[in-house]
Amino acid sequence: MTKSSLQSRFTSSLFILPYLLSFCAFLLIPILYGVYISFHNFELLSDSHEFVGLDNYIQIFTPGTYLFEQFTVGLWNTLQFVIYSVPLLVILGLALAMLLNAIPGRIRGLFRTFYFMPYAISGSVMAVIWLMMFDTNAGFLNGLLASLHIDPVAWLTDLPWVWVSLVLTTLWWTIGFNMIIFVNALNEVPEDYYEAASIDGANAWRKFVNITLPSIRPVMLFIIITSTIASFNVYAQPFLLTRGGPGDSTRVLLMNVLDEAFKGKQVGSASAMAILMAIIIIVISAVQYKIAYGRKE
Amino acid sequence: MTRTVKMLSVMMLASSLVLAAGCSGNNGAANGGENAGTNAGTNAAEGSGGETAEKADILFWTPFSGADGEFMKKIVEKYNSSQDTYKVKLVIQPNGEYYKQLDVALSASKERPDLAIMHVDQIPTYQNKGQLQAMDDLAGAAGINKSDYVEAPVNYETIEGKWYGIPLDIHPLVMYYNKDLFEKAGITAPPTNRAEFDAAVEKLTDKDKKIYGYVLPTLWPQQFIFPTLVWQNGGELWNGTDVAYNSPEAVEMVQWMRGLVEKGVSPGNVQQDGENTLFLQGKNAIQFNGPWMKGQFDEAGINYGVAPVPQIGKAKQAVYAGSHNFVVPKDVTDAAVIKGIGDFLKYMSTNSMDWAASGQALASKPMLESADFIALEMQSNVAKSFDYVQFAPNVLNWATISDPIWGELSSALLGKKDAQKAMDDAVAKSRQAMKK
Repeated sequence: MTKSSLQSRFTSSLFILPYLLSFCAFLLIPILYGVYISFHNFELLSDSHEFVGLDNYIQIFTPGTYLFEQFTVGLWNTLQFVIYSVPLLVILGLALAMLLNAIPGRIRGLFRTFYFMPYAISGSVMAVIWLMMFDTNAGFLNGLLASLHIDPVAWLTDLPWVWVSLVLTTLWWTIGFNMIIFVNALNEVPEDYYEAASIDGANAWRKFVNITLPSIRPVMLFIIITSTIASFNVYAQPFLLTRGGPGDSTRVLLMNVLDEAFKGKQVGSASAMAILMAIIIIVISAVQYKIAYGRKE
Repeated sequence: MTRTVKMLSVMMLASSLVLAAGCSGNNGAANGGENAGTNAGTNAAEGSGGETAEKADILFWTPFSGADGEFMKKIVEKYNSSQDTYKVKLVIQPNGEYYKQLDVALSASKERPDLAIMHVDQIPTYQNKGQLQAMDDLAGAAGINKSDYVEAPVNYETIEGKWYGIPLDIHPLVMYYNKDLFEKAGITAPPTNRAEFDAAVEKLTDKDKKIYGYVLPTLWPQQFIFPTLVWQNGGELWNGTDVAYNSPEAVEMVQWMRGLVEKGVSPGNVQQDGENTLFLQGKNAIQFNGPWMKGQFDEAGINYGVAPVPQIGKAKQAVYAGSHNFVVPKDVTDAAVIKGIGDFLKYMSTNSMDWAASGQALASKPMLESADFIALEMQSNVAKSFDYVQFAPNVLNWATISDPIWGELSSALLGKKDAQKAMDDAVAKSRQAMKK
C-alpha cells in the first residue's frame, strides 16, 4: 500500500469521526448501558442495584406475572397498530407522491409543502387538533356526519374506531415524510424507460408495475422498514388521544415500558422490555430485507 | 459491498428504537445538564464577623411549567430582594417530566436540588427510599410550627414521628358550575348532596339543545373523582392490607356514574377532555375538576361558580386532593443552605398570597385566616373542604398498583363492562402488580 493511499484513508476516516462520536455517545453507549441495566434489579431511587442475571427477562416470559401481562398486552396492541398503519403509510405515501408528480410544476411545490407540513408539528399539537376533530359530542367529524344524517361515531372510545382514528392521525401526521422520499425516487427513474414502453404500447398500469415499481424498489424497502420501525415506536397518538382506552385496547408497548420505568421506577425490568422490543424490530426488519433481496442473490 | 451497507443501515435504523425506548430508561445525564452551574454553593459573606449569617444559594426545583410558574417566580423574586444573605434559584421543570428529572437528579446526586416541590402522596415513597431528610430541626430553627398548617397533609407526611414535608397548598376536587345554565333551569344554589345533585342535573339537561346536566368523564380526572365517591360511600381503595375497590360501596358508585349516561343527563362515549370541551361551550352545566382549571375558564369568559363537591356517597363527606409540599433531599448538609431553606420557608408561610392568586388554596393557616385570602371567592370556597380532604392511600408503589383501575373504570363507564366485573378485574390486575 502506498503512502498516499494510507494518508487518504486516514483523512477520509476523519470525516466520519464526528458521526462516530455522537453515535457512541447517543446510541451505542446508551444501548449497552440499557443491556447492562436490564440484568439488574435497578430501582431508580435505591442506592444498590443488585445483579439479577436474566430474572427480568424470565419474568417477562412467565405467564401470569405482571411483566408478562404488561409486555404481551402492549406488544399485541403495538403489532395491531403496525399491521393497520404500515401498508397505508407505504401505499398512500406512494400514491400521494405520484399524484404530486402528475400536477403542474408551478403548484407542485405548494402542495408538497402542504402535505409535508404536519410532519413538522409536535405530538401535543397534533393531539389538540385531532381531539377537536374526533370529539364524540362536539367534534368536527361527527358534526359533519350529523349534517349528512349519519349517527355519531365514537372515534376515540369504541372499537374498531379507535384504530381507525389512530391510523388516520398517524397518516396525517407522518405521511409527508414517506411522500417526499417517494417523490425523489420517482424523479430518478429515467424518462426514456417510459418513452420506450410507450412506443411498445404499454398502458399506465403496465408502466407502473414494470418500470416504476422495480426502479424504486430500494427506496420502497427503505420506506417499509422505516415505517415499520416508526409504527412500532407509536406512543404519542394513543397516549394523548385515547390514553390506552377503551379499557386497555390501545395501550401500546412503549406506554407500558415508560410506566414501568417512571411510574414504577423499575428501570431494570423496563430496560429488559425495551431490549426485547428492539430485538423484535431488528428481526422483523431483517425478515423484510430478506424477503425483498434474499431471493435475488 | 452495497449489501453490507444496506444491511448495516437496516440494523442502525432498528437499533435507533433503543434510543427511544431504552435510553429514556437509562439515565437522564443528557437532559439534566441544563442545570449545571446553578448548583448551590456557599461563600462566606464579605468581611463576615461571627454574627453575620453565611451567604448561600438555594437551588429550588418546581414542576410549575403551567401558568402557575409566573406566580412562584414572583414570590421568589420578592424573597430574593427582601434580603441579601440567601439567593433562591428557581428551576421550573416541565410538569410531565418532573419526577423523571427528580429521580435522575437524586440518584445521580450531582445536580440535585437543595429544595424541591413534591406532591404529598409521593413523600412516603421517597422517604422510604431514604431520599428525604426530616425537616423538624430545620423548621424548629426557623420558627416554623406544625400547628400553623392544615392537619391533613401534615399528618400524611409525618412518618415515624418525623416531619418530611412542609405544605404549600392543597388542591382538592371541586365542583364548577355554569351559573347561566343554573339560572335558566331555575336552580338557585349549587347541589350539596346526591338528591339535590340528581334533581339538578335532570333539570339542567335539555336534550333538544344538547345541553347536559353533568357530562361524565371516562378518563382523567377520574383519578380524583372515583376515590372521592368511594370514600364518600364508606368504601376504601386500600383496606390496610389489600386493594378494595371492588367492594359493594365502590361498585355502587361506578353504577351511579354509569347511570348518569343511561338516564341521559350525560352523553355517552365521552373522550379525553370531552366534558371540558362541552363545559367551555356552555353545553355541560357541571364538572368536577381541580382548582388548576380556573385560569382556563376565566380566559374563556364563562360565567361559572365554584363549590365543594356534593356528598354523593351515603356515608360521609370526603374529597380526594393533592398537595404541593416543600421537601429537602437527604444529601443537603451544608448548614448555611439549610438555614437559608428555613428562612425561605418561614417567609413562604406568611407571604404566599401570590400563590393563592394562581388559583390554589393555601395550606398555611395564617394565610387561610388572612382577610386577603378570605376575599378570594374561589380559593376560600375550595378551602372549605380542607377538613375532610383525603390523599391517595399511603402505600408504596401506589401509582403502579392502582393503575389498572383507570382502564377498567373507563370500560365500565363506557358501558362496555359490568361495573362489578370491571372492578373485580382491576383488583385482580392490581394484586398481580403487588406480587411483583
